[in-house]
Amino acid sequence: MATTVLERSNLAVARSPSTASLERLIEQAAHLLPSQGPISVFVHHNTLHALEEMKFADALVHSVETYQCQPYLPEERYRQELARGRIRREDLAAVLQDDLSDNGDELIGLLGTRFYLRLAMLEHSLYTGPSEELRWIIAETDAARAFRPDVPAEVRKRIIEHTRRWIMREFRNGHSHATVASYSPKLVAVVGELLDSFGKACIEEWSEATWEAFTLQLMWRLCVDGASVSASPRVGRPPLRHRDVLLEAVDEDCDDLVHEMLIRFCAVFLDQGFAHWPLPERDKGFYLSFIELYGAPGCLAPRWLRGLRAEVARLKEDAVGPLESIEESLELLGVGADEREEFIATTLMALRGWAGMIWQMETNAEWAVRPAPQGTLAEFLAVRLILDRFAAVYVAQEQMGYRGDLRDLRTTALRRRSLSVNSGEVQRAFLFFQLAQTLGLSPEDLQRLPSKTWSKLSAEVEAFSELERRRTLHYAYERRYLNQTLDAVAAHAKRAYRRLAAAGPQPTPDFQMFFCIDDREESFRRHLEEVHPACETFGYAAFFNVAMYYRGASDAHARPLCPVVIKPKHYVEELPVFTFEEAHRRRALARRWLGSASHYIHRGSRSLVGGAFTAIVGSLASAPLVGRILFPRTAAQLRRMFGTLVRPPEVTQLLLERSEPTPGPEEGHIGYSVGEMADIVERSLRDTGLTSRFAPLVIMTGHGSSSLNNPHESAYNCGACSGGRGGPNARAFSQMANDPRVRAILAERGLRIPHATYFLGAYHNTCNDQVAFFELERLPLTHKEVFARARRAIDETRRRNAHERCRRFESASLAISPEAALAHVEERAEDLSQARPEYNHATNAITFVGRRDNVRGLFMDRRTFLASYDPTLDDQQGTILARILAAVIPVCAGISLEYYFSCVDPQGYGCGSKLPHNIVSLLGVMEGALTDLRTGLSVQMIEIHEPVRQLFIIETKPETMEQVIKGSPTIARLCNNEWVFLATLDPQDKTTRLYRNGKFEPYQPESHELPQVYSSVDWYRGWRDNLGYAEVADLPSAARGSAAEAEIGAWA
Amino acid sequence: MTSGHLFNVFGPLVVAAPALLLVLLGTAALLGRPFPEKTISRLTQAAVILGLLGAVAVLALMLAADRRLVTLTMGDWIVLPGQHFHFTFKFMFDRLSVPFVILSFALCGVTSAFASKYLHREPGFGRFFVLFAVFLLGMVVTSLAGTIETLFAGWELVGLSSALLVGFFHERSGPVRNGLRVWTVYRVADAAFLIATVALHHLTSGGDFVRLTGSGPWPEGQALLTSNQALFIGLLLLVAAAGKSALVPFSGWLPRAMEGPTPSSAIFYGALSVHLGAFLLLRVSPLLEQSLLLCIAVVALGLVSAWFGAVTARVQSDVKSAIAFASLTQVGIIVAEIGCGLRYIALVHMIGHACLRTLQLLRAPTLLLDYHTLENAIGGRLPRQPTMWEQVVPESMRRRLYRFALERGFFDAMLTDYFVRPFTRVFEWCDAMERRWTDFLAGEQSRESDSLDLAGRVAEELR
Repeated sequence: MATTVLERSNLAVARSPSTASLERLIEQAAHLLPSQGPISVFVHHNTLHALEEMKFADALVHSVETYQCQPYLPEERYRQELARGRIRREDLAAVLQDDLSDNGDELIGLLGTRFYLRLAMLEHSLYTGPSEELRWIIAETDAARAFRPDVPAEVRKRIIEHTRRWIMREFRNGHSHATVASYSPKLVAVVGELLDSFGKACIEEWSEATWEAFTLQLMWRLCVDGASVSASPRVGRPPLRHRDVLLEAVDEDCDDLVHEMLIRFCAVFLDQGFAHWPLPERDKGFYLSFIELYGAPGCLAPRWLRGLRAEVARLKEDAVGPLESIEESLELLGVGADEREEFIATTLMALRGWAGMIWQMETNAEWAVRPAPQGTLAEFLAVRLILDRFAAVYVAQEQMGYRGDLRDLRTTALRRRSLSVNSGEVQRAFLFFQLAQTLGLSPEDLQRLPSKTWSKLSAEVEAFSELERRRTLHYAYERRYLNQTLDAVAAHAKRAYRRLAAAGPQPTPDFQMFFCIDDREESFRRHLEEVHPACETFGYAAFFNVAMYYRGASDAHARPLCPVVIKPKHYVEELPVFTFEEAHRRRALARRWLGSASHYIHRGSRSLVGGAFTAIVGSLASAPLVGRILFPRTAAQLRRMFGTLVRPPEVTQLLLERSEPTPGPEEGHIGYSVGEMADIVERSLRDTGLTSRFAPLVIMTGHGSSSLNNPHESAYNCGACSGGRGGPNARAFSQMANDPRVRAILAERGLRIPHATYFLGAYHNTCNDQVAFFELERLPLTHKEVFARARRAIDETRRRNAHERCRRFESASLAISPEAALAHVEERAEDLSQARPEYNHATNAITFVGRRDNVRGLFMDRRTFLASYDPTLDDQQGTILARILAAVIPVCAGISLEYYFSCVDPQGYGCGSKLPHNIVSLLGVMEGALTDLRTGLSVQMIEIHEPVRQLFIIETKPETMEQVIKGSPTIARLCNNEWVFLATLDPQDKTTRLYRNGKFEPYQPESHELPQVYSSVDWYRGWRDNLGYAEVADLPSAARGSAAEAEIGAWA
Repeated sequence: MTSGHLFNVFGPLVVAAPALLLVLLGTAALLGRPFPEKTISRLTQAAVILGLLGAVAVLALMLAADRRLVTLTMGDWIVLPGQHFHFTFKFMFDRLSVPFVILSFALCGVTSAFASKYLHREPGFGRFFVLFAVFLLGMVVTSLAGTIETLFAGWELVGLSSALLVGFFHERSGPVRNGLRVWTVYRVADAAFLIATVALHHLTSGGDFVRLTGSGPWPEGQALLTSNQALFIGLLLLVAAAGKSALVPFSGWLPRAMEGPTPSSAIFYGALSVHLGAFLLLRVSPLLEQSLLLCIAVVALGLVSAWFGAVTARVQSDVKSAIAFASLTQVGIIVAEIGCGLRYIALVHMIGHACLRTLQLLRAPTLLLDYHTLENAIGGRLPRQPTMWEQVVPESMRRRLYRFALERGFFDAMLTDYFVRPFTRVFEWCDAMERRWTDFLAGEQSRESDSLDLAGRVAEELR
């Protein structure tokens, strides 16, 4: 077979000038590939970003074809939600009403309106399967002996009773009764046959169960008849790729052969330095290094690849480039010009993880150790098609004895494919059978239906396909949380502002604290405000506008700390202070020595001699093995203790101000100018609306997360710092804001920061709930007292926050005390065996942009991104709002949609279970030994998530929001195509409007009720599930303080 | 109580604890009423601790009483006096089995503690621990086996649980296929083992190691076999060991076995299971002394495997395969040490290696963080030390070697093409002949199954 390939290849293939169009096709297809880059810089994005130009529902229909993945949860899941009340009947009805508008009232024969038919199809599970299975179900299970369990007893009874009377009346004696003549002979025959099989002689003594079985069997026969009337055979389009055709024809997967080899090659090509030996000739590119490696003599090829060496040698000799090779392969595979586009796309999609990573490394990773040169994806495709050819020839020959032209293989194989075109008759009959029971139709009703009605019913059922049903159920699922949220926010905001107006002018708060907009900070802020009512909190993207490349005192490289869309120009470095320079130098040396040694051991343990040595003393490894697994927290404390010996000195400073005019990484260029600092500070403060009433202490908090054994660690970090930890940003910002020169400039611009106000940087670890403060040695003595108070409040908040988080962890008892909860989360962060160090953004569903007062004291269950924005300080066009939303909407939508898709199909869109993950090439994970690179989120990350689209609630006038939408194509795309929900909350009268079909429609609240609780813990305690909204009652601070103490006492 | 009584208390405890665990977990699973997660992990921990205590107590007693061999007999199961045949379950505690069984308990204990958190909420949690119990029992039985048939029983339990855990994620095709592959290689190894068992029974009319290895306790003792007999049985056992320990040419399955959850990969292919082949050779090491040829074969196989593992590990780009081949390297060296008669060194090497690899595999997912930490400590990209190979071996040779390593020594292709393919071809031929014959006899097409359409019908309606 190898020779056939060769001969064919020797044909002079027309070197068409179409390579440019080929490149274009490849690039088009590349956009469909997963766009996740190296896993150490994990950025959440919409998994179906490529389809954002379409409406959400249409894109999802389209995606089924393109990605072969699930677009919604399984139908049964929604039915469970229906059963437990998460979806209400009225939500279903409302969504159906909305979809059908006037068409819902159309009558389907005698079966009622379309609306009711669809509602029945949604409420009752309709099973379907292969014909054989359905026949088996009828023959062997109770399906045709007893009514479905969801048929109410009285309906069941009525149908049986009715049938009994009917049969006794019309058919009992079988002689040609006058009325029997009016039935079709077929029906008479069927009934006669059934009567005989059930024992007609003793019909009077038939038990209830016999009648039930009789009725159902009769119904089944009638449904089969009805289904045969309305035949509409479906003929699927034959698949495009040779692999798919062969798979159908002979049940042998060519991709198994190709992928094993291709994955290994992709992995060594993209390797960022894990393997000891790099791929020879890697610099020549994917295609050439493949040719060099597989053209080498003296190697044994597996059977299907016999002849590859000769083929590769020919390519090398004739200097066939990758694009020409693709042309050649397409020609040899017999791919017509009209199929090309789709063929290339499906071929690339076959190994989408690796192909996507190649594309990312080619276009988007110039910072990586070994990025891929331009054109690598095309080279990948060229290699893949060569291998595809070999595999197809081999499989066709082995399994079909096919030795003909590869070009005709698809036609030949398709002929072999089982030709039984399924008419769908049994499926339809079974659907009708189930529907008849749920609609309460008796056999007499069924036999009366004219064939017109049967075909109409068939069309109806077809039109309301499984996908469509799942969409409807999903919309109902979303509608519920949407309504609850809008009701709660509006009600709470109204009350809050009424109270504020009554209270008069506000006193200056004790301290103010900035957090990231991250949903995980929602509970922290809420608890802090509960613990210390005299404080204020703000939410802002936690890079605080300090877009920089940052290098810490013990970091090897500078890394960008800002959203991915921004390319930082500035560099900032952390340096030891003069006093500790010597200590720093010594410790860096010790670190380097230790690092080199452990690197040597790490490498050596995999080699021959080094390995033997390390293995013989390997018993020493049992100490960390036992320690770290059985006593993770103690082991971590020990490690930290020893770590202090080599850690950089505690006291460091930031090199934040540059002396040269232009920013850059060189000496003198590192840092910002005073003017730039002023701009950064001004913008952050104006965006969040903190322009007056400055507290004496303003704490800026960045965040990140630390965990072990977690390849996805960077996904848990701050999204606004492109998967980095945002502490340095908070520190840099505070230093800028404290600078008197900056304050002077700001004062000129009308933003007066009082002298007494001090900014302090902090870092919140969302995994172990630790809060660290930066540069406390600089804290003015005058602020000692207020800081002590703030710190006390924060410490208490940490405990409470950990406590609230623990309710989600099944391994933490619901009766856990706050103190133990904090220890529990600390242990999770240090535990090697912990697959869920924290739940990251799971359960996120809402983004609120507006003044904190609107939602302060509202229990939002860690599901809400909170961005501060004061509409009263903004202009009519919403200049400030536009620049906030330019980041907030795409980022939060990206997070929510990535969670959505990973959640509805964890295997297809997500990366499956974390348990068998295997880090490869330092770039990503495979699921086990050798698979496609898995992108998206793991099962462990999404297990408590509710897949819903993000609801953005913006405190502004609809007109302003419309302007913002007009001004930003990204926002417009997401909102108009319904990838997110958008609502406005009026700054004055607190009414809400929902954005639908391009305009803001007034939203009618369903309820004004909002449960009131005394503290957050009262509301969430004892529950693991998602919780509804509640108002944490605003008690006088003194009462609350003592109450909190009492509470803690009760736990202790 | 005399020390003899104490032995009779603690000795059986070592075997009974894992057996009881398997019975409990297995019965609950069979009845369709699996225990909750917490109960399962508590039971497992209790069994491991009990077993470990028993083993340590036996060790202490042996040291105190200065006995080097303690045997426990579970009775003859089959005795055919006419044929001088008996089939005995017998356990023995000596300098080889006690350290190995303690190691097994220690590593299984740590790994089960790891797994009970790592697999939290996993639908297959119960299944994992049932298989884990099978494995633990298999390891204990193998280590303590006093007769070759006892060892075989343990060996099979380990093999079964191993293959099933490779296929743990059975909803995907890759793990199942690779599990089957592991299972197939194990079958070949087991076949060799079984022939060796039968031959041994034939030659010594019993499977006792004491009989096989002479009077003295391990590692002393003289095999009561002639040189040729030793060579024959030794070679068969070497094939068995090679299959189990993934030595050349069976190495292909080792990286493929990294399909299960990380803890099972760690305990099987990093730590215990992969050393079983070496353990078997250690157990029958007096046999090696009888035949120089056998020793040479063992050393050669060990060295080739070690070299192969070392070369292949260098090109692996994923962490688990790299560790798998690194593991193979050391197992190869251990086998070579056994061949050279360095039994204590081999034992120490084995124990140290098992601990090291378990730790390495369990923390494999933290690789990125480790690299990051190392880079920070060193203050730059990790240096790539140019190895001796790169300085000595010429460019073209290196490329060839690279290809050799990347394709994992072509062993898979070789086994498939020159072993499996002819094998299946022969049977296909037989099948065709049979069909012709039955068709001829029936005078028509005789096989109904031929007309059944089996392919591609599953999901037709679901599209």
